[in-house]
Amino acid sequence: MAEEKKYRQFQVSKDLKRLMAKHYALGRYYRYWGRPLRRKLAWITSGAPVELLRAFKIYSVYPEQYGAICSTAKATEKLCQAAEAAGYSQDLCSYARSHIGSILRPDLAPMQGLPKPDLLVACNNICGTVLKWYEALAHLLKVPLLVLDTPYLPGEQTEHAQQYVLEQLQSMVAHLEALTGRKLDRQELKRQLTRSAEMTKLWREIRELAQAHPSPLNGPDLFIQMAPIVAIRGSQEGIDYYRKLKAETEERVRRSEGSILEEKIRLVWDNIAIWPKLFSFTKMFTERGACFVTDTYSGGWTAELAPGDPMESLAATYTEIFLNRSPEFRAQQMIQLIEAYGANGFVLHSNRSCKPYSLVQEVIRRRVMKKTGVPGLMVEADMADPRAYAEESVRTRVEAFLETLQA
Amino acid sequence: MEDFFIGVDIGSLTAKVVLVDAQGKALGWAVARSGYSGRDVAQRLTREILAEKGVKEEQIKATVATGYGRVTYPAEREVSEITCQAKGSAHFFPGARTVIDIGGQDSKVIKVLPGGKVIDFAMNDKCAAGTGRFLEVMAGALEVSLEEVGALALKAEEHKSISSFCTVFAESEVISHASAGALKPDILAGVCESVAARVSALVERVGLESEVVFTGGVAKNVGVTKALSEQIGYPLLIPENPQITAALGAALLAWGMGKN
Repeated sequence: MAEEKKYRQFQVSKDLKRLMAKHYALGRYYRYWGRPLRRKLAWITSGAPVELLRAFKIYSVYPEQYGAICSTAKATEKLCQAAEAAGYSQDLCSYARSHIGSILRPDLAPMQGLPKPDLLVACNNICGTVLKWYEALAHLLKVPLLVLDTPYLPGEQTEHAQQYVLEQLQSMVAHLEALTGRKLDRQELKRQLTRSAEMTKLWREIRELAQAHPSPLNGPDLFIQMAPIVAIRGSQEGIDYYRKLKAETEERVRRSEGSILEEKIRLVWDNIAIWPKLFSFTKMFTERGACFVTDTYSGGWTAELAPGDPMESLAATYTEIFLNRSPEFRAQQMIQLIEAYGANGFVLHSNRSCKPYSLVQEVIRRRVMKKTGVPGLMVEADMADPRAYAEESVRTRVEAFLETLQA
Repeated sequence: MEDFFIGVDIGSLTAKVVLVDAQGKALGWAVARSGYSGRDVAQRLTREILAEKGVKEEQIKATVATGYGRVTYPAEREVSEITCQAKGSAHFFPGARTVIDIGGQDSKVIKVLPGGKVIDFAMNDKCAAGTGRFLEVMAGALEVSLEEVGALALKAEEHKSISSFCTVFAESEVISHASAGALKPDILAGVCESVAARVSALVERVGLESEVVFTGGVAKNVGVTKALSEQIGYPLLIPENPQITAALGAALLAWGMGKN
């Protein structure tokens, strides 16, 4: 972690560590406090409608975020091998493999794995893999699985799609009522949505501060600071934390303090972070004065709540997320980011694990280059599995790309 | 005392050194296997060229290093092989708009502006398909020398196709063709087409514009050249010594530094 020191550290990051440690500790000791309070624990996908679960007082943890934790803790390789030995193909998502590995071999897993859940909730707005991953979990752990199927949107949202998702949410409510023994409190759901919206707005505003030159945020800042919006969205503590982060980021902008010491090149990042190489990868850019001022990944948690009553709003919001949209939509999103953040280039991480995120990137790259004239680089790697990273070939591409930007 | 400039390209299989004079004219070059220490090999080649041309070490005003081994070589600047390749190719062919380079461990397609400025590029995924190493493995399986591959492939009558991109699987395909009695030229034609197909896909990524220059050690292979030219539908311009273009580009960049 010596490389970490070359970045300008956020003072509030100490609070972030405490906040996330508390979240995972609460999960870990959930059996001591959750049972007496009749509260259930769920494992959920990153795109699941957590506000609904919170209204049922369900405590949610995210195996995907845990996959990233395993990777930064250098545990992924062994956990993946454990899953591969059990028959899970090496071509599967590395979050799924490492998470399944953590169940098979808790002795190899950070925090000895996640606390055992009472239920599983999977929403396929982010990918199709989660369906089979969560089916495997349901089978391994013998717990109920609730699935929310969000149809892919080739164009704009349709009445039909929204209705289809809404009906599933209604039946999910019935299941949750049976599983928790509680009735849905609609006022509570509304409160959860309001708090969620407030936290999302703060995260959006923090990110937009990076439109300043130099940018107060770099890729690793975005990837680290996104933890609360993913894992504790809608909590008062999360809102309080983002208020502090926003104030510190504003202070950086006021003082014209960049995240990196000398910003010469501004880049947009696409796809999940390369967690096992987060700092060494970014260093290749930082050394040459290149800063990742914004990204599509941590920006996935900035969408405003769709209008309508709480259930309608949930149905639309969770169907409209960018990974569930067309290549045209995503190319347009990249173009807007390049323009709004004054970027000189963009970098696409072709992520071996994440097919829906990566498959269309070449189409997006060409389209964006044609429309904006801004060059884009593709690097092949994996979000969690270090075995899919070839240091030298990545370095050659990165150096050549930065040379073309500087020439 | 006249000034001179050196470009060093330490690749995964071979090291190349080019010497240019104060007018930016290439005076001499040398190529050798990079082996265990590409840096030592490149330093030896440099000494040899300097001795041959009667140039003293203190006359070397700048050195630029490129290729995988660039970080190990004591040079004024390290530049990626993509920038160097584009520069060197444009020197030989000023009309070049697309440069296809197939080296030992990687293949790349570079889109360039007049003068050799890079505007886009694509490289092979971390896999040996479509590289010199792939050809070397297949030549080994058929017990022919790498230099013979191209000429033999041109003699093919019935082309055997190699469908696997994985070098190990492709080698077993080659062996199974051989044990089924297929002739070496027929199998080698399939091998050359497989390399060309992989690289054509990269060409498609950056978009093709003529003129198209083909460089790297594999450009010496007539079998791959023919297959590639047919697949992309354009003639390929090949420098007299296609292995040294990146080293020449590095030397020209060193020369450019010396002028300023």
